[in-house]
Amino acid sequence: MSETHLNIEGLSKSFDNVQALSNIDLKVDRGAFVCLLGPSGCGKTTLLRIIAGFERATAGKLVLDGADITNLAPHKRGFGMVFQSLALFPHMSVAENISYGLKLRKTSRVEQKDRVEELLNVVELPHIADRPVSALSGGQRQRVAIARALAIRPKLFLLDEPLSALDAKLRDNMQIELRRLQQSFGVTTVLVTHDQTEAMMLADELVVLSDGVIQQAAPPSQVYRFPANPFVADFIGSANILPAVSTSQKTLGLLGMNTGISVQQAPGITLQAAVRSEAISLRRVESGGTGTISFARDLGPVTEWLVQAAGHEIRVRGASSAASPTVGDQVELKFDQDRISVFAS
Amino acid sequence: MRVGLLPTDRGGSYRFVIMLLAILGILVSALPVVVVTIMSFSAAETSGFPPESYSLRWYGEVARLFTNEDSSSAQSVVDSTVTSLVVALIVMVISTGVCIPLAYALARGERRVREGMELLFTLPLVFPLVMLGIAFLLIAESLKLELGIWRIAIPHIALVLPFVLRNCLSAMNGISVELEEAAISLGASPMRAIWDVVIPLMKAGILAGLIFALIISFNEFTITFFMYTIDVSTLPIWMYSRTVSSLDPSTLALSVFIIAADVLLIVLVDKLIAGKGNLF
Repeated sequence: MSETHLNIEGLSKSFDNVQALSNIDLKVDRGAFVCLLGPSGCGKTTLLRIIAGFERATAGKLVLDGADITNLAPHKRGFGMVFQSLALFPHMSVAENISYGLKLRKTSRVEQKDRVEELLNVVELPHIADRPVSALSGGQRQRVAIARALAIRPKLFLLDEPLSALDAKLRDNMQIELRRLQQSFGVTTVLVTHDQTEAMMLADELVVLSDGVIQQAAPPSQVYRFPANPFVADFIGSANILPAVSTSQKTLGLLGMNTGISVQQAPGITLQAAVRSEAISLRRVESGGTGTISFARDLGPVTEWLVQAAGHEIRVRGASSAASPTVGDQVELKFDQDRISVFAS
Repeated sequence: MRVGLLPTDRGGSYRFVIMLLAILGILVSALPVVVVTIMSFSAAETSGFPPESYSLRWYGEVARLFTNEDSSSAQSVVDSTVTSLVVALIVMVISTGVCIPLAYALARGERRVREGMELLFTLPLVFPLVMLGIAFLLIAESLKLELGIWRIAIPHIALVLPFVLRNCLSAMNGISVELEEAAISLGASPMRAIWDVVIPLMKAGILAGLIFALIISFNEFTITFFMYTIDVSTLPIWMYSRTVSSLDPSTLALSVFIIAADVLLIVLVDKLIAGKGNLF
């Protein structure tokens, strides 16, 4: 039984004459991990900063546990935040950084010390409490920043692209750790990222934003399998967005072929189809194929091809094998019917 | 392969030129200090270079000036020194008190405003000091206010503001807004965030500014020369009038103390801001 923790109602934000967010409605369940995902400039960071209280919404409401917090000052919200730059206090030691929020809450020294120790254990960095922040590595800083935000037992845990500064391998480890931490603390979390793999790895609920509008809000697998529109299909994973048509039998006609997928639209109406690169299989033919391979690269576990077919360049991804078609080969395309999303154009 | 022309660790062809320029520079800037220091150890009655014999008698004279009541001049050296120190203290407190919030506001505000204000506060640097002195004198006389020590303190504040502001501004440059926001997200009020995060990180710049204010105010002569009265006068003015009336080397002995104190303070500034701020 899920219960709404944070409710964002009709939120809009404009800077001068630029509409950064328009009419955002979002419900965040208690204990959920929500990822705001979108290209840069889509308004995801602005939305997070409005939740944190650092920006004021032009219109709309923020409701936390039934209480309106739209106009509550940020320091009274009690949300833990991890910043993109991490923003560790350089003039304080690790312990002072983590206990800063507790000190402001007038927690006793003993309690502060216990909490610092507990959190450093949780982030697997015991025995560094007395070090200056400048002596830490990138990954360690990351963990200290997370520990500092969690130390105040935040009502909401907000993260603004916290992993973007780490190298790929470390980022991978931190993603798993972050997810583990979030679940053990059971804290409602909102994370902003532009990295779709990261978002899919972490999120219970994926919110795809573009141009200040929520394009889709759903669990990651659902967003992947059933994208709400061509933008989402393209942004999440690599999809081929192809022009299509409703055939006389009200099925989907794609690249001159009848795919057999039934559609709602009347015959003759032009449509758009999003086809995942892994939902296409290739079969080499001697002549008269639908397309020609223009690019092939074996990436190890999978191979990527580019196929020129009916004036389109189609990206295909599939298992590598010795029999795989290579550049110049004629191929037949076969579509996995379940993995094609159809949109009105 | 290294090019012989470049000043490498063995020195190249430029080495000679660089050494020559360095020696010339050191000579020009250090010569007055060296001459004054040597002459302060003179045994003669009057200042003349080089001294024929050496003694510590003028240091004794300085000690006597500071300990004995001097009835011959209207303002004793003790009074002048005290005035100089009080003025310097006022200048330090007020200029940093103005510049810390100002630097914060400018650094967080719009870029254009910041550039305009920086220019405005740098203006006293480019005005000829004599003109500033006349201007302040005209203002003080036309207002007919009984200003006391502020007659001198106010022009000094105007003079040191650019230096203090520069130091505070460059200290603010490295402090990102996210640091403040981090403190706020942890529960600090905006003022508390400034107190806990911004001020400690500005500390080096503030201290450098304080020391600059002290040195500039304590050594200031030109403007003070227009502003001093019989009751309110500073040490540089006393030294000037003493030198004009009698050319004995006791003022030189006093100068050596001041130079030593200044050098000490400059070294302190250098240590404090090492790489963090700019002096000019």
